[in-house]
Amino acid sequence: MGCLFLCVAGVMAQGRKAICINEVMVQNDSNYVDDYGMHHAWIELFNSSFASVEISSMYLTNDKANPTMYPVPRMDVNTEIPPRQHVIFWADGEPNKGTFHINFTLEPGKDNWIGLYDADGKTLIDEVVIPASLTVGQSYARIEDGNKGKGETPAAEWSIRDGSDNGYITPSGNNIIIDKNAKIEMFKNDKSGAGLTILSMAVVFSSLFILCLLFYFVGRLFTKTATIRKTKEVADAGVDESVVTPDSGEEIAAVCMALHEHLNMHDNEDLVLTINKVKRSYSPWNSKIYSLREIPRK
Amino acid sequence: MNLGDFLGQNLSDFWSYTGFANATPEHFIMLAFGLLFIWLAIKHDFEPLLLVPIGFGILVGNIPFKIDAGAEIGIYEEGSVLNILYDGVSAGWYPPLIFLGIGAMTDFSALIANPKLMLIGAAAQFGIFGAYMVALALGFAPDQAGAIAIIGGADGPTAIFLSSKLAPNLMGAIAVSAYSYMALVPVIQPPIMRLLTTKNERLIKMKPARAVSQNEKIMFPIIGLLLTCFVVPSALPLLGMLFFGNLLRESGVTTRLAKTASNALNDIIVMLLGLTVGASTQASEFLTQDTIFIFFLGFIAFIIASMSGVLFVKLFNLFLPKSKKINPLIGNAGVSAVPMSARISNNMGLKYDPSNYLLMHAMGPNVAGVIGSAVAAGALLAFLG
Repeated sequence: MGCLFLCVAGVMAQGRKAICINEVMVQNDSNYVDDYGMHHAWIELFNSSFASVEISSMYLTNDKANPTMYPVPRMDVNTEIPPRQHVIFWADGEPNKGTFHINFTLEPGKDNWIGLYDADGKTLIDEVVIPASLTVGQSYARIEDGNKGKGETPAAEWSIRDGSDNGYITPSGNNIIIDKNAKIEMFKNDKSGAGLTILSMAVVFSSLFILCLLFYFVGRLFTKTATIRKTKEVADAGVDESVVTPDSGEEIAAVCMALHEHLNMHDNEDLVLTINKVKRSYSPWNSKIYSLREIPRK
Repeated sequence: MNLGDFLGQNLSDFWSYTGFANATPEHFIMLAFGLLFIWLAIKHDFEPLLLVPIGFGILVGNIPFKIDAGAEIGIYEEGSVLNILYDGVSAGWYPPLIFLGIGAMTDFSALIANPKLMLIGAAAQFGIFGAYMVALALGFAPDQAGAIAIIGGADGPTAIFLSSKLAPNLMGAIAVSAYSYMALVPVIQPPIMRLLTTKNERLIKMKPARAVSQNEKIMFPIIGLLLTCFVVPSALPLLGMLFFGNLLRESGVTTRLAKTASNALNDIIVMLLGLTVGASTQASEFLTQDTIFIFFLGFIAFIIASMSGVLFVKLFNLFLPKSKKINPLIGNAGVSAVPMSARISNNMGLKYDPSNYLLMHAMGPNVAGVIGSAVAAGALLAFLG
């Protein structure tokens, strides 16, 4: 049970690392409306993994000194974010309105730090500083959903969206619209398929070649070790080395075959006369004689 | 409404739900295919463990019914029993379970004793990519072409696994095609083997393989998994289960698990997989021009795979000393289709020299073919998925 718990806990912790702050709007005058028909600042979280992630008991905060400011309530089925999906939290300071209404607000005209902490209230999962320059109706969004980058500056990962054609605002939607499979598009250039053939066969051959090479040396090592051990045994036992013991496998196979034939000569025991007593546990309750016919034999 | 009208209307309704009222010529064509599969399996022993469930599945899947009744009967109707069973195919979790059973059944000794035979298993995968090129020429998209081409791996579970990821709409045709040609291996391969080999080559006697220690057998699945899956992680579901099953077998301490994996579990999955794959060939989905192309491409793939295995051995022999030459009759076994293709090598060898038993030698490329086709599927998934 302990192992099971550790495994599950490990998986959960790993899953929660996939949650990230994905898009934020501080001054919302005409954009997305909440379930009460009101415009409020919003924070979008994104599950970048390919598995559902439960976010209850995680914390959202805008105060580094108070990482447990807003605990995401438990016992709400909507706090499980499906794979590659988003949820919106309304920064209206009115948590009594529901799970997704948090107990703090964002302040226009100044930098707003937002942090997302794991259930322990200590592990920082994600953070972002929303620049003070963000004006009414603008959002601050990751250029690519869920891409936390690898040490790049925020400028490389985030952009200011103003709702124009080049900077559309996408609450509860993907920040970047993927309408093509880039891999397939690339392989459309390989019209004859020769490129893929060369690549894939190289992969197949190299995998099996390395395995072949490895087991060639492993085999040699084991054969050599076996020979040394055998020589030592022969020397210890004082046996004449000119007497060769059968080790080709053929003799062993012949012996095995003879034994098999001998031991299985009565494989159709029901049909042959035998001196062996045939014992079967019987009860009228498990008798199938009266209910089933025999399986036909071809 | 009088009694006559009442009875008449209800009988009319009942009639509209029957198979007779909803049958189309396509249904009868598919039912005939199902019967053909069952006949081939029972009468001619062509892969009966596969063709009986698939053939019966074709019958099950092609019983005509009123599609718009919402009765949750058809395999493509969410919530129907068949649909629930079909999840193992569409979500791709039956094939890894089959691989678990294959791993628990397979003795890799022949391969470990003579590791160079692995390269034959790799060479035979040319069938996959030859078919891929032809599929592209026929106008299939790259991902569809990849899914169809995997038929050349001669490995049903791999074909189902890959097609469920790359081209789910073609999966029924691909699976049926793959299993059909696997059943026809004894018909397809011998003429190719005869055509590409000389009499002297067919008489080559190979040295008996050395005895393989238990430690080597235990090391093989562990090293095999680490190596192949580090190169192609996308093949992990298949190779992970294959090598896991093999470790259960070879470790010597999990005999019960190995027995369950190779017997009861494998049998259950084979039954469900065969039945649902067969049932997925509903006439409306199956009888299309694409299906004809897929069967044609599958045939091409099998031929190229068998040819490339045999030709690779011939090429390989040019670099080997006389005492270590390989009989090219085992080249066909690189296409997987365990153990049918290895048996064909053995039978062909015995035909030309009654004392030349090639079975154990052919098992090497045969099981290497299983690994090779899974790696090829992983590569296709990585490139096109």
